[in-house]
Amino acid sequence: MKGKKKYQPWLYSSPAMILIGIIIVFPILYTGFISLTNMNLFHWLDYRVIGLENFKRALFKVDSGFLKALLTTLLWTAVNMALQLVLSYFIALGLNAPGLKLRRLYKTLLMFPWAMPAYVSILLWRVGMFNTEFGLFNKCLSALGLSKVNFLSENIPAFLSCMILNLWMALPFMIMMIDGALQSIDKCYYESAKLDGAGFWKQNLHITIPFIKPIMAPAVIMTTFTTFKQFDIFYLLTMQKGAYTGATIQTIITYAHQNAFVSNNYGLSSAVSIIIFGIIIALSLFTNRGVKETGEMALRKKGGAYDKA
Amino acid sequence: MTKHKVRKAVGYSVLNLVFLCLCFLGLIPILYALSLSLSSGGGALSSGITFLPSNPTLDNFKAIITEEPFLIWLKNSFILSLGTMVIAMGVSVEAAYAFSRFRFPGRGGVLKLLLLLNAFPQILSMFALFRLFKELGLLNRHLGLILIYAGSMCIFGIWNMKGYFDTIPLEIEEASKIDGAGNLKLLAAVILPLARPAIIVTSVMILIFVWNEYLFATTFMLSEGSYSLAGGLYQLQTGDYGRSWSMFSAAAILVSIPILIIFFFIQKYMVSGLTSGGVKG
Repeated sequence: MKGKKKYQPWLYSSPAMILIGIIIVFPILYTGFISLTNMNLFHWLDYRVIGLENFKRALFKVDSGFLKALLTTLLWTAVNMALQLVLSYFIALGLNAPGLKLRRLYKTLLMFPWAMPAYVSILLWRVGMFNTEFGLFNKCLSALGLSKVNFLSENIPAFLSCMILNLWMALPFMIMMIDGALQSIDKCYYESAKLDGAGFWKQNLHITIPFIKPIMAPAVIMTTFTTFKQFDIFYLLTMQKGAYTGATIQTIITYAHQNAFVSNNYGLSSAVSIIIFGIIIALSLFTNRGVKETGEMALRKKGGAYDKA
Repeated sequence: MTKHKVRKAVGYSVLNLVFLCLCFLGLIPILYALSLSLSSGGGALSSGITFLPSNPTLDNFKAIITEEPFLIWLKNSFILSLGTMVIAMGVSVEAAYAFSRFRFPGRGGVLKLLLLLNAFPQILSMFALFRLFKELGLLNRHLGLILIYAGSMCIFGIWNMKGYFDTIPLEIEEASKIDGAGNLKLLAAVILPLARPAIIVTSVMILIFVWNEYLFATTFMLSEGSYSLAGGLYQLQTGDYGRSWSMFSAAAILVSIPILIIFFFIQKYMVSGLTSGGVKG
C-alpha cells in the first residue's frame, strides 16, 4: 500500500511529463547539442561537433551582429517599460478620479487592443497604419500636403513604429493592473494627506506610488520579460518571409530566428538561443522572489498567447 | 455655484474629453479596418480619410468566404484548437491533481522547473523541433502542431488548475473517501465538477492561444490545405495588396470577433486571477 502511494503522483502526472519532455525539454537539449556543431544547410546530415566555436562567434565577433542585437533589445526593453509605466500610471489615475461617471465605458473601449489577436493587430497596423500607399498615417500626411513617409524602411523610424505599436498593444494590460492596484488603497490616507496640505504630486509620491509598488512588482517583472522577448512585432512588421521592408533592426530573438530559418545557420542560431536561455535563467533567478507569482501570471496572461513567442 | 465647483466641473469635462480622445485613438486601427472591410473594392486606394464608407457593402465578407479557402482555414483552426484542448486538458488535469493533493519528494522542484521551462521563449527551440518533426514525418500534419501546442499549454494548464484545486477543501474528498471512492473516481465525480470554473477558463485560454498562434502554424504547415486561420491571413496579407487588403480586413474582423467576445466574457476571471495573484505575493 505504502509503495503504491509513492508512485501514484508520478503515475498521474506521467502523461503530462512525457508530453512536456518531448515538446519542451528535448528540443532545448537538442538545441544545446546543435549549438556545439557546425550544422547548416550544407551540413544537414554530415555535421560535426566543433565545440564552442559558435559561442565564440556570437559573443566575441562584433560583426556577427549578436551584440548589436543584444544592445537593441536592452534599449527596446528600457524605453518601452519606462513609457508604459508612466503613461499607464497617469491613465489609471484618471480612470480613478472619483467623479468620472463613464469609467466603465472607457475601460471597456481601452481594452480592445488587448483583446485582439496579436498577429491580427500587427498585420492590421502594418498595412492599415504604416503602409506607404494605403496606410492611414500617410493618408493623413498627404491630406496635409506633406510627402509620404516609408515608416518601415529605415531603422530609426521602424524602431519608433514598433514602439508605438507595442505601446498600443501593451498599455491596456498595464492600465488594468495599475487600476486594480489603485483601487486597493484606502481612501483615508488621501484625506489625511489633504488635511496636512499635500498637493497632487506629493500625494502621488508619498502615498500612491509606495502603496502600489509591491502589488505592481510581479506585473512589471512579467511585462519586462515579455517586452524583452518580443518577437512578433519586429518580425511581422519588418521582416516576414519574403516581405522585408528595408529596416534591419534585430533583437536577440529575431536574430536567432533569422539565423535558423533564413540564413540556415543552425549552429550559430542554437548557440545564440542557449545564450538567451542563460540570460533568461539568470534574470529569473535574479528576480527570484517574484518568479513564482510572475511565472504564474505570465501563464495566465492571455493564456500565454502574448507571451509565447 | 462656487468657484471651486466650477473648477471641478471644468476639470471633469477636460478629463472626459481626454478619455474620449484616448479611446478613439486606441480604436482607430480597428475602426479603419472595419470601414475598409465594408467599403467597396477600391476603398483602400482612394486617398480620402473617412471612417464611414460611402456605400457600405458586405461584398468583402462574401468574397473572403467564397473566393478564398477561408472555411478550410476555419476548419483547420477548429481541429487544432479542439485537439489541443482535449490533449492538453486530458494530461494536465491529472497532473494538476497530483501536484495539488499529494506531497511527494521532487514536487516543489518539478513545479519550479515547469515555471522556468515556461519562461523560455519556445521560438528558440523551434528549429530543433522542426528537425525532430521532419525526421518523424510530423511536419504539415495537424497532429504535429497539436502536440506542440498541447505540450506548451500543458504547463499553463497544470499551474492554473493546481491553483484552483488547492482552494477546494480536503474535507470534501475525505468524506467521499470514507464512502469508499478511489482516487480516480474521486477526481471524476467530486473534484472535476467542483473545479468546473477553472476547467472552463483554462480550456478557453487554450482555445484562444491556438486561435492566435501564427508562428508555428506558418512554419510547420507548408501546404495551403493545412493552413489555420493565422496561416491563411498571413498569406492573404503578403499577397497582392489593393483589393486583397479590404478582404484581409474583412477576414481579420471575422477572426477577431469570436476572440473579442470570449475575451470580454472571461475578462473578469482573468483580472481577478491576475490581481489576486499579485496581492498574494
